[in-house]
Amino acid sequence: MPVEVILPKVDMDMSHGKLATWHVAEGETVAKGAPLFDIETDKAAMEVESPASGRLLSVTAQPGDMVAVGTVVALIYAEGETVAETPIQTTAAPEPEAPVAKTVEPVPTATAHPAAIPQADPAVAPGLRATPAARAAARASGITLEEVPGTGPRGRIQRDDVAAFLAHRVEAPALASPGAGAWSAQPGPLHVSSRKGTGVPLVLIHGFTADSQSWAPLEKALGADRPLIRIDLPGHGRSPRRRLGSFAELARMVVEALDDVTRGHDKVDLLGHSLGGALALAAADIRARRIRSLALIAPAGLGPEIDAQALTGITRATRAESLAPWLRRLTATPDGISDDYARAAMRLRADPALRAFQAELAEILFPDGVQPFDLRPALSRLEIPTAILWGRSDHILPWRQALSITGDFALHLLADAGHVPQLECPDRVARILVRHLLM
Amino acid sequence: MNAMTETGLRVLSYSEAIREAMAIAMENDPTVILMGEDIGVYGGAFQVTLDLVDRFGPDRVMDTPISELGGAGVAVGAALTGLKPIYEFQFSDFAMLAMEQIVNQAAKLRYMLGGEASVPVVFRLPAGSGTGAAAQHSQSIEAWFGHVPGLKVLQPATPEDAKGMLLSALADPDPVMIFEHKLLYKMKGHVPEGSYLTPIGKALVRRSGTDLTIVAGSIMVHRALEAAERLAAEGISAEVIDLRSIRPIDAETILASVRKTGRLMVVYEGVKAFGVGAEISAMVAESDAFDHLDAPILRLGAADAPVPYNPDLERAAVPQVETIEAAARRLARREV
Repeated sequence: MPVEVILPKVDMDMSHGKLATWHVAEGETVAKGAPLFDIETDKAAMEVESPASGRLLSVTAQPGDMVAVGTVVALIYAEGETVAETPIQTTAAPEPEAPVAKTVEPVPTATAHPAAIPQADPAVAPGLRATPAARAAARASGITLEEVPGTGPRGRIQRDDVAAFLAHRVEAPALASPGAGAWSAQPGPLHVSSRKGTGVPLVLIHGFTADSQSWAPLEKALGADRPLIRIDLPGHGRSPRRRLGSFAELARMVVEALDDVTRGHDKVDLLGHSLGGALALAAADIRARRIRSLALIAPAGLGPEIDAQALTGITRATRAESLAPWLRRLTATPDGISDDYARAAMRLRADPALRAFQAELAEILFPDGVQPFDLRPALSRLEIPTAILWGRSDHILPWRQALSITGDFALHLLADAGHVPQLECPDRVARILVRHLLM
Repeated sequence: MNAMTETGLRVLSYSEAIREAMAIAMENDPTVILMGEDIGVYGGAFQVTLDLVDRFGPDRVMDTPISELGGAGVAVGAALTGLKPIYEFQFSDFAMLAMEQIVNQAAKLRYMLGGEASVPVVFRLPAGSGTGAAAQHSQSIEAWFGHVPGLKVLQPATPEDAKGMLLSALADPDPVMIFEHKLLYKMKGHVPEGSYLTPIGKALVRRSGTDLTIVAGSIMVHRALEAAERLAAEGISAEVIDLRSIRPIDAETILASVRKTGRLMVVYEGVKAFGVGAEISAMVAESDAFDHLDAPILRLGAADAPVPYNPDLERAAVPQVETIEAAARRLARREV
């Protein structure tokens, strides 16, 4: 059997990708692991490696084609393997009803299906892999499955994928506005994605167990023009897992990444949340001259107390049901987190190796449920405009820690916000950032 | 099972439970008789009828010649005259010698005589592999009889069910086949006193779960339960259904579980192809539960070969705890 070449999902909220270039022409041989083709999503450009060694045949997507995630774009035949007559239901010949989702642009919303299901479901592209449960869920919610990235074997769309898609759509509707610049990845030990724009770039460092995608609501609130640079911490999002012995080692790694990303810029604004706040503070202390302003949301490192139970609970949870109660502790009130949201979050934590790494990291960074690193001296040394934003209903880190620090910073206590104000009230957070910093 | 002992509940072995059911039935109903090869003084190939000839005499506990076709024929004839015979096959494999009587006579006579006659015979059939008895004495052929309208086909997995099912089979006016697993005869478990009926055609959820459904019968129930216990440590929640009856089959319990979990695995000791798993898979695929399936259905059955004599191969030929565990893990982790 030939090996299928599938358009992979390279971004959490990616449903389609543009096939940019083939590195190997049809009929040529390719080695496993060699660059096969490039894809561009609305956020990133990525090189895709060949899943197998052999001859590339049955190429169904040409450069420039928009292709749904999970679509088979070619087949790789092993040496000496017989080539089937028509391995996939499409040929290079331009047939009018070429079944691969060639140019079907993602229909944003409002393609609600009538209650009666038509015989031939137009929501389902021929060849699209989806379980009956996923199909039923898509019908029930009026979405087309082509929009949904499949994470199952061979790109199969499963019920979870539909739930995650719906949850994400609720969370960040119409994320990619036409004018918004595309995200691109930068090489380096940590995954860094940046978006071009005009003005001083804002560097975002997420918190423990989050990832750079968690900034989406705030990014939207800040507008599409601002250049943004997001860093994924090791073992989070798309950064590789790297062995770490201490907070200081992690901070060094972040500073190195920051050095890389700020190379082309005179200065940057820096924003960190929770653990990312402590790291931003540490980085600003070391690289004071490169930072124009600093904003910290519910930063760690300003006192020993932390809700260790929630840390353990989140890192240990293997199912949405056990994750949800801890997620609900992140927000001011439990109703901030829906079951769908918890399911989507659990799906991102489905990899046991990721959970194990983060559990171990929690033990290293917060031994015995304590924050051993103290960044209060760093804060008092800062001479750049600095703002701390803290939810008054933060159940993870106590906002009162901010009251005992000396230093020239503005403190914004947000009523009705918990540990994640950038998700709970992104517009308000954006307003404060714009008004009180030079951002 | 130890827990049961500690609670002070009465514990019997599977074979003791079957023997007790036969004794109760014979005491309460003079028309109940036992027939089979060496079931008298010798106590049967697996000693299930031990001592019953002493209690009820050779007129009611009858040794029959080594002719399954003859013995089963006499049992069917006796049932037609109003007796309630329990015919023991030494090995379920030998039922093949009596196919004519079971399939063409016992199963069909009620239909062919317009409901004016019935054949209340019970066939007991020691089944399954694991005893080193090789290809002709280790099969699991229960699915064959699932294909025959007019029969009822049961597979008790516990001592309690073994007794209750036999009493239900005797209370049933039509032919009932009970496949007893040879490896379960010594298994101990709580068995209630006195007479009680285990409903025919009603599956039982032995363990409740949310991630996947494992439907199993006979000894596979215990293997599936152990696999589920191991998987629970990894956060995988498997629901285990004891099928108990192949014909009639309890669609309702299975479909309800699939609607809940979206993932189905069927584990059985018969050869995988054309087996119990095929029937259950197709039943789910044809039902409204189809729309709840979130993964392909998996079947775990015996290898496509006669049961080997070599002990390692014999073990490898049928689903074991480890194979069930591995398959269920893949299914739960969305790797299938």
